[in-house]
Amino acid sequence: MAMMTATPEVSPAQKKKTRRKNQPVAYLYLGPALISIAILGIAPLLYTVYIAFTNFDMYHFTSYQFVGLQNFIDIINGPYLSVFEPVFVWTIVFAVTTTLANYLVGLFVAVLLNNEHMKESNIYRAILIVPWAVPALITQLSWSNLLNKDYGPINQFLHLFGIHAIPWLTDPFWAKISVLLVNLWLGYPYMMSVSLGALQAVPKDLYEAAQIDGANWWQQFFYVTIPAIWKITIPLIIPSFAFNFNNFNAIYALTQGGPARPDTQFAGYTDILISAAYKMSLTFNKFEIAAALSVMVFILVGVISLIQMKASGAFQEAD
Amino acid sequence: MSSLATSAPTLSPKKKSLAPGQRFVLWVSRIIVWFFILLAMFPIYFVLLASLKGGQSFFSGNLFPRSITLQNYWALLTQTSFLTWMKNSLIVGILLGAVQLAFTATSAYAFSRMRFFGRKYGLMTLLLLQMFPNALAVSAILAVLTQLNLLDNLYIYVLVQAGGSAFNIWLLKGYLDTIPRELDEAAVMDGANSMQIYLRIILPLSVPMLVVIFLFTFIGSFNEFLLGSTILQSPSNYTLPIGLFQFIQGQFAKNWTEFSAAALLAAVPLTVLYAVFQKWIVSGLVAGSVKG
Repeated sequence: MAMMTATPEVSPAQKKKTRRKNQPVAYLYLGPALISIAILGIAPLLYTVYIAFTNFDMYHFTSYQFVGLQNFIDIINGPYLSVFEPVFVWTIVFAVTTTLANYLVGLFVAVLLNNEHMKESNIYRAILIVPWAVPALITQLSWSNLLNKDYGPINQFLHLFGIHAIPWLTDPFWAKISVLLVNLWLGYPYMMSVSLGALQAVPKDLYEAAQIDGANWWQQFFYVTIPAIWKITIPLIIPSFAFNFNNFNAIYALTQGGPARPDTQFAGYTDILISAAYKMSLTFNKFEIAAALSVMVFILVGVISLIQMKASGAFQEAD
Repeated sequence: MSSLATSAPTLSPKKKSLAPGQRFVLWVSRIIVWFFILLAMFPIYFVLLASLKGGQSFFSGNLFPRSITLQNYWALLTQTSFLTWMKNSLIVGILLGAVQLAFTATSAYAFSRMRFFGRKYGLMTLLLLQMFPNALAVSAILAVLTQLNLLDNLYIYVLVQAGGSAFNIWLLKGYLDTIPRELDEAAVMDGANSMQIYLRIILPLSVPMLVVIFLFTFIGSFNEFLLGSTILQSPSNYTLPIGLFQFIQGQFAKNWTEFSAAALLAAVPLTVLYAVFQKWIVSGLVAGSVKG
């Protein structure tokens, strides 16, 4: 844009025209990625939608028919409602709690570390990101051992303080707490790291200006720091929520969806929609129900993400 | 508080000396941070202890072991398929990383520098589509692979995941946007076409971000469990995550000590890699969000 004033011999209209011209060669560069996404990303998705409208299970593997919306009706208002209703509620609770907890704890620690008098804060930061740097699946599998009720070290450690063995993974309530705590443990360093990056990107003169205007620490924090990190970190909350909504490993590696519910074999107390869909297709060969569940997850996450993306203008091209 | 510090300069010859309020905040912050460090390190310490311990149980109720042994590591390398799983994971990770590089490097250039139909909303649409992980299409993938009899094949497992990543494209596009356009324009003046600009200018300058994308794809492949456990069925085809999962679920059930050794052997190199390069991804994310 600044170019326009620097080159007066080209009129703004002309400049605009050349800028607007399409370059067909772009599709050559885009081709490999787009084709691969079409075949390996979009086609399975469309096939999932297709299966969701059939009775494709192990009894109808070669001779399936269209059943219209029957699978969706079965889930929303039929035999599967009692199975998936608690799963749905827990999926929302898990995704929202994990995302917010990671964000708030991460931001809190980042603010502590951003203290200019804390000369050694880089060392702290390097240590604190370790739980995030370890491949999450290995962490989650390890935690399923650490939290074992009988011989897990966490309970044995608590025993030193006279605390009785907590059924971390075998009691419905504690299993949910365990899932949330483990994902906070390995998830907040990411938000801390991003927030710290954002904090350090806040121009120093903004603080100096605020100080000259007589702002105290809290005022500087609320009127300078918060808006600045807000702008950078809010776009990261959307993908984080969508990620956690479908965070299969977080559940499956730790509890395998368990403990089992007495009222159904299809889902356990900590199953989220994606792990329930996985069990539906792999364990019970009910592909049609798994597919219908997946379609519902997609619509749900898609709509939420679209609204948030639009609202924050996160990914829009500034033209 | 600040007036207190400035009114008594003779009492504190060091310029750095803090006001009492600042000192209090600093030390409270430090103590909270130390507490978080303890929380971060304790579980890792427990796993390390277990891996160095004789016998099969995890913890002896003792924070400092009386004797340590490497027998778990030795047993892991000689009596289990750990090395095969590691090899499979390396194959998968390197192939996926290479594929991602090829797709990302080319399409990010188009998104950053060219005008074409679909540019404005194309990337946003792709990002939205990919919030639907291909793991959710597991029923479709399983159905197709079963019908084509392609299950239990390491390379099919790679192929299923080999699609381009909109997130990587977005990340690299943000990085390319920071490379001054004047460089391109100067090259155009010299008569360079888009391919020459790409190969001579953009590609060499984007090497740092490409390294990051490769490494993150590579490391990310060690977190893939859902598709792997669906497609890979014989132990000789397992990747490390599937193997580790079987380790504590199946035939080695309750063998926490060997599992801990395996977890550490797998995690330490990856963690070091990640810790060294995570700064790049964070600055990439921050740059991507504030541009415009």
